[in-house]
Amino acid sequence: MTTKGVAADMESKENEKPMLILKDIHKFYGNNEVLKGISLEVRRGELVTFVGPSGCGKTTLLRLIGGFTDISAGDIILDGQRINDLPPNLRDTRICFQNYALFPHMTVAENVGYGLRINKWPKDKTAARVGELLEMVELEAFRDRMIDKLSGGQQQRVAFARALSLEPKVLLLDEPLSNLDANLRLVMREEIRKLQERLHITTVFVTHDQFEAMAISDRLVVMKNGLIEQVGTPIEIYERPANEFIAGFVGYVNFMDGRIESIDETTRNTVINTQYGRLEISLEQDNVKTGDDVLMVIRPESVSLSLDCGDKSQNVLCGALKSYMYAGSIAKCTVTIGDRTMIIDQYNPRDAQHFKNAEKVDVEIPRSVHLLKKK
Amino acid sequence: MATAELSVKLQASSGSKVKDFLNANMVNILAALLFLLLAFFLLYPIVAVLIKSLRGPSGFTLQYYQNFFSKNYYYQSLINTLLLGAINTVVCLVIGFCLAYMTTRGPWILRKPLKIISLVPLIAPPYLFALSLIILFGRNGLVTRALDLHWELYGFGGVVISQTLAFIPLAYMMIESTLMSLNPNLEESAYDLGATEATILRTITIPLLAPGLLKAALLIFVMTIAEFGNAAILGGRTPFLAPDTYTMITGESDFYMGSVLSVILIAPCILIFFIHNYLLEGKKFTTIGGKPVASEPRKITPLIKVPFVIITTVAAGAILICFAVVFAASFYKILGVTHNFVLSNYLDFTSNRAIYNSIRVSFVAAVIGAIIGVLLAYVIVRGQFFGRTFIEMISLSGFALPGTVLGIGYLLAFSAPPLKLTGGIMILALNCVFRFLAVGVEAGISKLHQIHIEIEEASADLGASFLTTFYKIVLPIMFPAFIAGFIYTFMTAIVSLSAVVFLVSPGFDLAAVIIFDKAVYGEIGIASATTMKLVLIVMICMLILNFISNKTKLGSSMKKSAAV
Repeated sequence: MTTKGVAADMESKENEKPMLILKDIHKFYGNNEVLKGISLEVRRGELVTFVGPSGCGKTTLLRLIGGFTDISAGDIILDGQRINDLPPNLRDTRICFQNYALFPHMTVAENVGYGLRINKWPKDKTAARVGELLEMVELEAFRDRMIDKLSGGQQQRVAFARALSLEPKVLLLDEPLSNLDANLRLVMREEIRKLQERLHITTVFVTHDQFEAMAISDRLVVMKNGLIEQVGTPIEIYERPANEFIAGFVGYVNFMDGRIESIDETTRNTVINTQYGRLEISLEQDNVKTGDDVLMVIRPESVSLSLDCGDKSQNVLCGALKSYMYAGSIAKCTVTIGDRTMIIDQYNPRDAQHFKNAEKVDVEIPRSVHLLKKK
Repeated sequence: MATAELSVKLQASSGSKVKDFLNANMVNILAALLFLLLAFFLLYPIVAVLIKSLRGPSGFTLQYYQNFFSKNYYYQSLINTLLLGAINTVVCLVIGFCLAYMTTRGPWILRKPLKIISLVPLIAPPYLFALSLIILFGRNGLVTRALDLHWELYGFGGVVISQTLAFIPLAYMMIESTLMSLNPNLEESAYDLGATEATILRTITIPLLAPGLLKAALLIFVMTIAEFGNAAILGGRTPFLAPDTYTMITGESDFYMGSVLSVILIAPCILIFFIHNYLLEGKKFTTIGGKPVASEPRKITPLIKVPFVIITTVAAGAILICFAVVFAASFYKILGVTHNFVLSNYLDFTSNRAIYNSIRVSFVAAVIGAIIGVLLAYVIVRGQFFGRTFIEMISLSGFALPGTVLGIGYLLAFSAPPLKLTGGIMILALNCVFRFLAVGVEAGISKLHQIHIEIEEASADLGASFLTTFYKIVLPIMFPAFIAGFIYTFMTAIVSLSAVVFLVSPGFDLAAVIIFDKAVYGEIGIASATTMKLVLIVMICMLILNFISNKTKLGSSMKKSAAV
């Protein structure tokens, strides 16, 4: 191997090393344990989102990484260095607070340049860097404005630029979009993601909005009651949730009980016995076996609905249409199959007029259904 | 709009025109009546002082003012007073800031105890500190004798120390509330961007607190220069405006010079009241809302921690010691001189009769004050008439007026017909009512802001007349504010000294006046015991107030108005 090859190899090894490692982190407030052993690795340049219902500990975890809250047990390792005891001003992490926390007595440029001045950058370099950052967030024209003369979205950008000013190793974003109105949120979340990818900056994002989390992240960390429930890409989390909580957290879900009757080892064709009939699916997971009691995770949009035609083909169950709410691009249907009520989303609905008057419908369960093993 | 709608509704339902008029204009009629009361009992006495200072035996004259500025003695007392105010303000701000910083940013375990100690002086009449300084450092003081010292407590230094201790809670409360309202994320952001504790203080915390600190400074300044008790007890031969006014009136019966001194004392107060209200209005940095959260304790660097801890410890220690020595002194004829433990101080007849008188006066004041406070709050919030802000301003101005001025004012205004009140309990009570109106009014206003006008409109819509609505809807909702105003007026009145000292008649002593007299004449035991009785009464009042505010969520609003 040539030296060049070795160097390249070492560099790629270096890139494979995670930027941030959390090792079995615990946090107590008095007797109240808010984090109960969190372990996680965040890769370089990755955007990881902590998501979960309020009180799950996601913000506390973010504050621990930033150094604002003392850690009760465990280790935080940033780029190979243990930073448990470093105060925020000595950590190479920068945070963007939910309320932006912009200094109201300073202009936009002074806010963005605050960290640079504190770290004794020369004046000319500071000015150049501030210009560069303001250009990046498209606020050059506002450099001398006071903070309260900016719109919410502009304030968000200033906070973002300020947090990036010192080129941190990890950027921490605490619900950065929650103070913006719905449309602006969509725009800003795309902008943040684009910038993050362009700068290749490792980012930890906290939100309670599961859809925002799915849209923006490389990986999601779903938390509940101080524990990680599942870590995975948005697709993994949505299509292969680890448990009922996650399945329900990232979107509406219909559950159906069943027992695995057989699994064809070569085709993975699997027959599931339910009380409404036998269903066939193609199994994409290997944590279940024949004879297991399972919960089928059926997303509302994965089911196809057709008007009752009497012809019962494979995976089609007979249901009673209880309500049909037409809303243009989507129709929300409530169907009962036996004693079970299912919510079914029909995108690009056709024959709405007929459905409105229909009583019986055919419900086709897709073959790509995820199974949760029942305990 | 409320009244207009009300009147429309009522005209439709009721027949009598007089009744309609009354219903539609009840708020205005009420406002007019209240304004008359304010004019008569608050403005008129002050004007009387002003007139007295300008009118000689032969008409208008500036003779007395000329006297003031030409005689070194008077002139010196103005300088002393302003100097005292300045020093006191600075010291109180520094101590208050350290205490507030520790209780909002410091370690959790220290927050609560420090806060309690900082607020403890509230239960004491301010002159408790003068008393405790006499016990410790006076000519026969414990420390003086133990170390065989020959120093002079009576003078500028003694007054500064006792005033500082007395005004720590005010400084603390005001600074704490601004510190609490400062979004902790701001300081955390600076910390995050590499700033050290000292840098955060210099570049973020203090600049952002500046308007709040300035407000606190102005208020403390006004309160300090107007404060009578400590300066009168410990001033010795050093002249100060407030006690000099008293000497002028009671010692030399010179009402003309007394009035001049009052006008000179009131001038900076009025000036500062206007600055406080208008210049600082809206000069607050707004930050984007988030949940207001308590700051988590920070690793405070020794550079900040050491001086802060020293200052807070000294201040907290001094406060506790002062209470302890007055408590101890109440069981001896003169602590440190006589060694027999006695209860006679508590059984003293004059003292107990004075306490009884004080309770009577304060009770009457509290009843009247609470009623007027609630009514004023109502017309200020719901009224639509011209001069509404003016009424609000006067009713809140009482706290900024030096007590001595209002004391002389009452003496001048109500000692002769048409309304001769001197010599009775009413003049004392009314004086307290109008001096301490501000808190009752503030409590009422904040309570009313919680009620939507729609509730009253709904009542009117259902056919109720103004009085019925007021009686059935407004009063019950405002009841907590009424009680708060009542208790607050009661406990402020019972310890107040500066105005009533002019108004008590021979044979009808008040507790505060007894303490003042006994302290001046060296009967420390009785003064201490009487003080402790007052402390006990105020403590009970505070507990009741606390209980009510917890029950009715009036807490935050009361705290705010108490700090204003």
